Amino acid sequence: MDALVNAFESAVGWLLSEAVVPALYTLGLMSWVEWAHEATAFVLAGALTVLAVVVILAPLERLRPAQAITDRRHVHTDVIYTLVVKLGIMPLMAFAVLWLVFIPLERWLRLQGYTPWSLEDLIPGLASWPALSLLLYVLIIDFGEYWRHRLQHRWNWWWQLHALHHAQQQMTFWTDDRNHVLDDLIAAFWMAAIALAIGVPPAQFPLVLFATKFIESLSHANVRLGFGPLKHVLVSPQFHRLHHAIDLGREGARRGVNFAVVFSFWDKLFGTADHRDAYPATGIRDQLPAYGAVDYGTSFLETQWLGFRRLFDTLIDRRVRR
Amino acid sequence: MRLLLGLLLALLPWLPFAASALKPGEKVIVLNSGEGTVSVIDRATRKVERTLPVGKEPHHLITTLDDSDLVIANAASNDLVFLDPLSGEVKRRLPRIMDPYQLAYSPDGKWFVSVSLRLDRVDIYAMPHYELKTRIPVAKTPSHVAISRDSTMAYVTMQDSDEVVAIDLAAHKLAWRMPVGKTPAGIWMSPQGLLFVGAMGRDHVEVIDPAKRAIIASIPTGRGAHNIFPMGDGQHVMVSNRVDGTVTKVDYRDLKVVGKPIRVGAGADCMEISADGKELWVTVRWEGKVAVVDLTGQKPTEYIRVGRSPHGIYFRSHAPRDR
Repeated sequence: MDALVNAFESAVGWLLSEAVVPALYTLGLMSWVEWAHEATAFVLAGALTVLAVVVILAPLERLRPAQAITDRRHVHTDVIYTLVVKLGIMPLMAFAVLWLVFIPLERWLRLQGYTPWSLEDLIPGLASWPALSLLLYVLIIDFGEYWRHRLQHRWNWWWQLHALHHAQQQMTFWTDDRNHVLDDLIAAFWMAAIALAIGVPPAQFPLVLFATKFIESLSHANVRLGFGPLKHVLVSPQFHRLHHAIDLGREGARRGVNFAVVFSFWDKLFGTADHRDAYPATGIRDQLPAYGAVDYGTSFLETQWLGFRRLFDTLIDRRVRR
Repeated sequence: MRLLLGLLLALLPWLPFAASALKPGEKVIVLNSGEGTVSVIDRATRKVERTLPVGKEPHHLITTLDDSDLVIANAASNDLVFLDPLSGEVKRRLPRIMDPYQLAYSPDGKWFVSVSLRLDRVDIYAMPHYELKTRIPVAKTPSHVAISRDSTMAYVTMQDSDEVVAIDLAAHKLAWRMPVGKTPAGIWMSPQGLLFVGAMGRDHVEVIDPAKRAIIASIPTGRGAHNIFPMGDGQHVMVSNRVDGTVTKVDYRDLKVVGKPIRVGAGADCMEISADGKELWVTVRWEGKVAVVDLTGQKPTEYIRVGRSPHGIYFRSHAPRDR
């Protein structure tokens, strides 16, 4: 592990000293150097995560597929989503929210004499246990993600964006990042709001962060895997495939089942868990010919554009009805 | 391999270069700003003994005037942590210090200055009770601070408005400001009363005569000239250059570079120089390492892996800071 972290830090250092920092220096932007350090580490970690996920999950999908992939074009779109989001959109969004909202707001609060507090202030002694502290942060953030996901299904305007994620009928581990950019932006704001409320996690535990990202990718994988008794703790591919099922995805009083992102017990706790032993087809009901054969697009740009259209139509429609 | 390495490390203290001016069991304290921890290194064996959490974003450290405490500024936790400089044990925590980035005590013991990089302010506290006296708004991104030897003025570099400001400590107000080179960072005052400022956006150290408020010289040290630490011999300082990843020796009396820059690694930052002037420790920020440089042989002899983005560094038997 030490050797891995060492190699990673050396690679970040090399990228910075050979490319990023000389560029900043030439452009007269040396004041941004700390941020460039963070961003370089973030993008490199993203690239390595993608690589590790592919190396582990691609063979697994071949070994025990849950469904036959019939249209590779949709999978290729998700590959583009993964690369664009992990290496471009996500760092950009995080950066935009941080600089346009989070930092000015925090700064304003501080200038008013209010010191933003964090979990460590709430629980005495927690500052001395960074691993425990990180676990608490991960739990609270995941709890926030569960409720964000519930609202994505509950509110019609938000569903119009999130539907793009559910429209994938050829679901693979690449599908994790298939989201509308507006949805990514909302997610960044959501995360910033939580960070303002509870502070930021204390330390970098690369393995923990990788593990959560890995579970998110794995949960979308086209693989027959249910996790056994562990399914009550962590989101398994089967558990999440049920969430994406045509017959369950946005049905019922709670507008779906299995909303959890990393820890599956949130669904148990809030009465939305479905642990049936099945691997149903994924997608949205109105994609079926009998229900209107709605087209959610194939390419990256098409899926994005249609997402905007659906959102716009929903908002206009609401105004007309009023 | 590990055994061999351990054996070599155990033998290190017996090597002549390591034995010079080294107190047995002396600790090196390194602030890992990117992960909120402190690495405690045995200076003789070069082994990290412990890594302990201190707070969020610890960037800079100083010692109290009596050398009894090591004071760490946790920028994102809004507090100071006092460590035992010999053992690295946490002694106490002082909360409600807003966004402390770099710190300084006035030599007369009356004032404590905390530079708030993110809030564009310089805070002045009265000692000994750290009683906040004033918060002085300054232009953009105050970075490093140096205090005049007569304890009347605090000089602060402004990273984003490219200036140095002088703050009258007793009057609690801004005395004057002057434009300097691009993205000024480190600042140090010589016994002759001259200010040495690292122009990080350029490749030189600027020498300022505060009495005349004029730049009287410019010493080319390397791209991204950043921090300035005296060697304690009354003649030289070492300058770290972040873009080139080097350290350069400068004669601060004759205002010229001595010898060639020594390559240490990506993002060379804060330094600590041994009292005998033979050994330099420097944080290599972007590689998560500390480099130990043999100043006689003019090359790094060792790299020690610490935490993310290591910044401030300290050991007890360091060269005097004022000459």
